[in-house]
Amino acid sequence: MKREGTASIPGSRQEICSLKAGGMHFAAPLARILEILGKPFVQHVPLAPDFVGGVVHYRGEVLIAISLRGLLGMESASSKGDVLVFESGNGPFGLIVDAVGEVLSVSANDLEPCPSNLDSRCEALMAGAWKLPDRLLIALDPERLEPQRVASAAAQSRKGSHAD
Amino acid sequence: MLPVQWATSLKFIPSSTDKLWVDDLTREFLLESQEGLDRMERGLTELESRPADAELLAEIFRSVHTIKGTTGFLGFPRLEALAHAGENLLGLLRDGRVTADANIVSGLLALLDRLRGILRTIEATGVEGEPKHDDGAMIGRLESLQGAPAAGSSAGRKPATPAGAETGAVASIGSRVRRPAKKRARREEAPMCVAPLRDPPVAEEAGPQGNERAVARVAEERETSSSHADSASSPRPEAVAAAVSSASPVAGTADCTLRVATELLNRMMNLVGELVLTRNQILQANSADAAFAPLGRRLDTVTADLREAVMKARMQPVNHVFARFPRLVRDLARSLGKPVRLELEGQETELDKSLLEAIRDPLTHAIRNAVDHGIESAEIRAAAGKPPEGLVRLRARHESSHVIVEVQDDGAGMNIERIRAKAIDRGLVEAARAAQMSEREILQLVFLAGFSTADAVTSISGRGVGMDVVRTNVEKIGGKVEIDSDAGHGTTLRLRIPLTLAIIPALIVHSREQNFAIPQAALVELVHLDADQVSVGIDWLGNAALYRLRGRLLPLLFLDRLLQQPPREQGACDIAILNADGRRFGLVVDGVADPQEIVVKPLAAVLRDIGVYAGASILGNGEMALILHPGAIAQSAGIGLTEETQEAGPDEANPAARDDFLLVETSSRRAALPLETVVRIERVPPSRIERAGARAVLRFEQELLPLNGVMDESGAAETPTTVVICREGTRQVGFLVNRVLDVAPGSSLREAGTSALSAGVALLRDQVTEIISPGCAPLPATCEDCPGLAAELQA
Repeated sequence: MKREGTASIPGSRQEICSLKAGGMHFAAPLARILEILGKPFVQHVPLAPDFVGGVVHYRGEVLIAISLRGLLGMESASSKGDVLVFESGNGPFGLIVDAVGEVLSVSANDLEPCPSNLDSRCEALMAGAWKLPDRLLIALDPERLEPQRVASAAAQSRKGSHAD
Repeated sequence: MLPVQWATSLKFIPSSTDKLWVDDLTREFLLESQEGLDRMERGLTELESRPADAELLAEIFRSVHTIKGTTGFLGFPRLEALAHAGENLLGLLRDGRVTADANIVSGLLALLDRLRGILRTIEATGVEGEPKHDDGAMIGRLESLQGAPAAGSSAGRKPATPAGAETGAVASIGSRVRRPAKKRARREEAPMCVAPLRDPPVAEEAGPQGNERAVARVAEERETSSSHADSASSPRPEAVAAAVSSASPVAGTADCTLRVATELLNRMMNLVGELVLTRNQILQANSADAAFAPLGRRLDTVTADLREAVMKARMQPVNHVFARFPRLVRDLARSLGKPVRLELEGQETELDKSLLEAIRDPLTHAIRNAVDHGIESAEIRAAAGKPPEGLVRLRARHESSHVIVEVQDDGAGMNIERIRAKAIDRGLVEAARAAQMSEREILQLVFLAGFSTADAVTSISGRGVGMDVVRTNVEKIGGKVEIDSDAGHGTTLRLRIPLTLAIIPALIVHSREQNFAIPQAALVELVHLDADQVSVGIDWLGNAALYRLRGRLLPLLFLDRLLQQPPREQGACDIAILNADGRRFGLVVDGVADPQEIVVKPLAAVLRDIGVYAGASILGNGEMALILHPGAIAQSAGIGLTEETQEAGPDEANPAARDDFLLVETSSRRAALPLETVVRIERVPPSRIERAGARAVLRFEQELLPLNGVMDESGAAETPTTVVICREGTRQVGFLVNRVLDVAPGSSLREAGTSALSAGVALLRDQVTEIISPGCAPLPATCEDCPGLAAELQA
């Protein structure tokens, strides 16, 4: 079921949820968030790739949680973060952020494609930037955060760097 | 509190399994018919050996009759016509006017396959669909079989009848199928009925051409191979799909429903009632209330019982899977021209429904292999002095928390040297390494992908996709496969399947303050090393750590290094001695917590791919523990297979009949507990033992443990009592004993006991000792009280 279609209709309004990670501001489409877990216990998984923050207990299941800081190549946070639960084709997964902000109603016209001078790692994750009156929010695309997709992308870039 | 809380609705995502075009009534009919056909299949294969069994015939007749009745009502004319033809033939059989022979059984089995095919079409599309094969030909074949002679002696006298009767029958069906049906029936089906394989005189007289018999054989072979080989062009792909692969993503109606005994359901309902009641009481009580603790305890018992009841409801007898094998063996044996008998044993053994589905394919493979490669041809068997009829034995039985399924054949056994040569030839193992391998290790090579020992690649198996598929499928569900072979006497394939997927006993260990779970199935023993023992106890050969366990060197792996955790100061540690599929090694961990029954939760693919974890679990305190995968750890560390018999004493030549027991002394007599079921032994003060109703219970690790055995009321209340904690299915039970005496091997004499299932006796140290089964309270009488039995056992 594709739900991101709403973003492309010019002028239509949609709700986004603002997030913070490592001093940067992000936003995720509200319709894609299953649930927000407030500062849950995240169990570290040894040997897991860097972008995996660990596993969390979510409704009787053990859920893999992607760390947004890890994805951006930042140090992991010293304090507990919030976890957003997204649904994907391979089941739900969590995204660890430093803190969840607020829900904002934005117009699809405010979404700008990726600025070209952005960090490449950041660029891979973002669907664009939301232009708010007072600040910019990086629009996250849950599709691109899906653990397996991130894993294969990481494997690709590793291969690329080896080739260099 | 969070600033925002939402839950998005998933309601509008349609379920892929929703089949709107199959209404409830049809679904019910499909389910019932499939069960009826299963019964019919079982009956038919038995019919060959007992052709005059009136009861059997009546049962088969009833199945077909029911289908006919319902189809007419629901408006499925194809099914009705076919079932009608079958019913007519079965009616004659039942009345004794026709005697069932191999041809009739084949004809009826062909009808069965056709009916199944139509049922599947209905399930998928809601309609019967157009006949791919002419139903007229099938009906004609069945009607011609009606005209078949009643007894073998009269067979020769009316040679021309079958063909004539058949033509007439086809004509009577109607114009719709007349032309093609006639032709087809002549070409393909007619030889079937005029030239029975086991009746050469008839064939010679009846056939217009002399080589009709050969045609009949070909037709027969095509028949069997089309329903059992996985050729895509098969006219009945549905039968193939079920037998060879589980490719179909949508489970059939029969796979997603379950018949549960009303009694069990009532019990579950009662338990849920009790649960609700307890919850209500807890809601009203506050934590300071004196009644709170007993309420918590009751909640615990009710939850445990409810869990057990739900697990029980999922249990199905293995017969659900076994039932299809007599047919499979029959068809295989006929197409290969080898007489083979299948013996089933322990069909009532129960297994979780999902596991039952999972072992269906591996077992099919294994049985095919046994019939195709295991059993020799009749001539070779005769030359070896064996009975010409091969025997395949399919056995299921419980063994602690596992079900063992064995496929045993009395064939030629496996040729170790040939396997070795083949493995080298296929590049599966290096020649130098192969030369050093033990027989046991060589045998396990057949489980590697791309291995096949068949000299000639037959159509049935031997395409090199046999045993590795068996192993992968069984390992996927947490089971194990072993193979034993005795050259000249046969091969035994043993599948060890856990009772249930969801809950496994595991040992929780620590490494750097983090919990990990090791499945008990792989755990052999635990060794504790104090801080000062570590440097002495662990030997180093270069980078390889070794531990001397009773004189033998055991490779060691360090969990913290394995997981690349930060190093710590050397201190006390524990070594978990593991045996993962024959690979023995010690896993060094920081500390050992408790054994627990854990609920296995799957991990995301990204984490599964690391290769170290088998899953995760949520522990009682809310923390999560990653479940380690001993097999994968051993393999990635390059730990080799070990001879399992190396440690066994000389008297353990036959491990199946010998088990280890924990000898205990209960209030005046000796008794034994199977060591496999013992979880731990605990000394507790009597004050900790409480009573819940009539039952003594012990609060143990936040769980309530029911206690069995008589409490020594007269004994001093201050001396601690010994409690042996045993595993019983998925829960634990405690036994009160006076003291623990020893661990001793004993030969099980369970079969000879009076109550074979619940309790038994064993020969321990040449004394008959009662075995306490964790499933029940010990017998009130000791063996000394029934001298007759003891004498009988010793005799």
